[in-house]
Amino acid sequence: MLRNAVPEHLIEIRNVSYSRGDRTIFDGLNLNVRRGEVSAIMGPSGTGKTTLLNLITGQLLPHQGSVYFDGRVVCPCSRHRLYAIRRQIGVLFQHGALLTNLSVFENVAFPLREHTSLPEALIRQIVAMKLHSVGLAAAWKKMPAELSGGMARRVGLARALVLDPSLIIYDEPFTGLDPIAAGVILRLIRETNDSLGITSIVVTHDVVEAELLADRIFLLSAGKVVATGTPGNMRSDESPIVRQFMDGLPDGPVPFHYAGADYAEQLQLMSTA
Amino acid sequence: MSNSARAIDVSVGLFILLGLGAVTFLVAQTFGSGGLVSGEFYTVQARFGHVGDLKVRAPVSLAGVTIGRVSEISVDPIDYKAIVELRISSQFDQLPVDTDATIATTGLLGGKYIELGPGGDVEVLKDHDEIQITQSAILLENLIGKYLLTGNAEPKE
Amino acid sequence: MSKVIRDCWIEFGHFAATFGAFQIFSMRLLPYMPGAFLRPRLISEQIYNIGALSLVLIMFGGLFVGMVLALQSYSTLAEFGQADSIGAFAAEALVRELGPVIAALLFAGRAGSAVAAEVGLMRATDQIAAMELMAVDPIRRVVVPRFIAGVISVPLLAAIFSALGVLGACLVGTGLLGVDSGAFWSQIQGRIDLQDVASGLLKSLVFGISASLMGVYEGYFAAPSAAGVSRAATRTVVITSVWILLFDFILTALTLPEV
Repeated sequence: MLRNAVPEHLIEIRNVSYSRGDRTIFDGLNLNVRRGEVSAIMGPSGTGKTTLLNLITGQLLPHQGSVYFDGRVVCPCSRHRLYAIRRQIGVLFQHGALLTNLSVFENVAFPLREHTSLPEALIRQIVAMKLHSVGLAAAWKKMPAELSGGMARRVGLARALVLDPSLIIYDEPFTGLDPIAAGVILRLIRETNDSLGITSIVVTHDVVEAELLADRIFLLSAGKVVATGTPGNMRSDESPIVRQFMDGLPDGPVPFHYAGADYAEQLQLMSTA
Repeated sequence: MSNSARAIDVSVGLFILLGLGAVTFLVAQTFGSGGLVSGEFYTVQARFGHVGDLKVRAPVSLAGVTIGRVSEISVDPIDYKAIVELRISSQFDQLPVDTDATIATTGLLGGKYIELGPGGDVEVLKDHDEIQITQSAILLENLIGKYLLTGNAEPKE
Repeated sequence: MSKVIRDCWIEFGHFAATFGAFQIFSMRLLPYMPGAFLRPRLISEQIYNIGALSLVLIMFGGLFVGMVLALQSYSTLAEFGQADSIGAFAAEALVRELGPVIAALLFAGRAGSAVAAEVGLMRATDQIAAMELMAVDPIRRVVVPRFIAGVISVPLLAAIFSALGVLGACLVGTGLLGVDSGAFWSQIQGRIDLQDVASGLLKSLVFGISASLMGVYEGYFAAPSAAGVSRAATRTVVITSVWILLFDFILTALTLPEV
């Protein structure tokens, strides 16, 4: 591994295959995430977007190929090294995944308390700053149960940012939010990325938000990246799968019917069961 | 430290103290009754042909009042008799030397205890003295055997 | 009918399988034990949640069980002129058996299930995964403090249960049944020895380990759904109860005083 040059790509996924049971989720997946960009990873449900996140963060080990973070291979083989990598990655979960028995303040302070031995006064300042940057400094005393979905996600973002990571991964950040809250999250992702000079990966199937937000869109289908490009490129891409997904067409390369037996046979099966 | 954290600390502290207190209370119950063995006492011995199921810590009573405890039961290897050591509260240090000791039973089937019957001598029992007049435990099963098989009256030791 | 039998069989198979998985899980906890005491606050928080908050239940339980024991034994013992020994009877039963067993069963119902549900919910709401991704080991941060707190709490709760039980028996015996209080206490003292107390504590320690381990185990491996969490809580109570009774038999057989 060359140490003198900073790799152009923060995340490199090389020829990764992964299957769960007899179902192949990825088959020779290649995907590179550039530094400083917001990359949107999109695809129909069930294409393994969440599996991809787990591969990047080393929750799962690919059956073939490897994942590189900043030039280092991500591998759950050494817990110590894996945790060293994870400390540089902030993850915002779909619903924030706040620790429900801790207050907002303690949630954001959590990574600091676990990983550093900073004095209490400094922890307070850092937490206040991060909460301020997501606009929730006033809510520090609240418990997670008292927050709305959008607020919980913003607290989750503050927590993801608190160790100053070089990569933030957003898992479905817009799901279940009203348009205003979604707009707030969208602006926060963009601003955070640009002002802190970090790299962001957004996993989503919200086409509108992804087009507004991303520098680059990866469209996954059937275990591979089927299309890559800027939102502009994607809009003008004429391939059927891209059109189906971007325009939200009910039928196309991704069939309407869940794969299974012929309809007539299916009826037979259901009536004998 | 916030107020709630302090409240938790206090409750946890109280809980642990209460638990340890309960353990201490239970352990305290295992030591002889208050003032008798833990307070001032003196020890006398008595020999019995048979102690039945007399146990260590069985009460030693005088006129039905507990004044001491059995502290040790052993066997004399020479005359094959059981040596029972009695701890008697120092309050009762005026027992005459001809006091007798009987192994008695509470109720019909109850536990064994030692009943002292004071004699009339002017001299009194002192620490490590031996009580000379003793009566062994009455073994119910032997009594029954005696009446069933009259003629073979000697109970076997 | 065959479905019922099949379900029971599956449940039994699961019970047996749990035993193995359980040992692997407890082996995983071991290396974290010494380090856990470097952060006593995490443990004391959990002692509060699962120990101190079980206190009222345990005290009530002990008091009433003691009172019932006194009432129950009175009629039999009085027949033989042994009414004085209701205290001894209640105390021995409580210290050797009922204290550890009932306190542990109550603990499993009150705290073991709560731990399972809490940890299971943390799993279901991605909190465990979030910790993993924050490079915080959830075994160290979530599981071990709860386990240690349970192991510390159960013997204390059992001792409190027994002590309150003896007091309850005294209350009924001397207050209601007219037993002389001096006779009551001296009979207890003649009956219980240090070995009884020690074997009671040993039992409750073993029960505490099983109840706490079961709670965190079921929670940690709960299916991430509402049904999964409720299953984890139920199974914690059921399996812990079976274990407590089984271990009680084994330990009683092992610690029986040689009379």
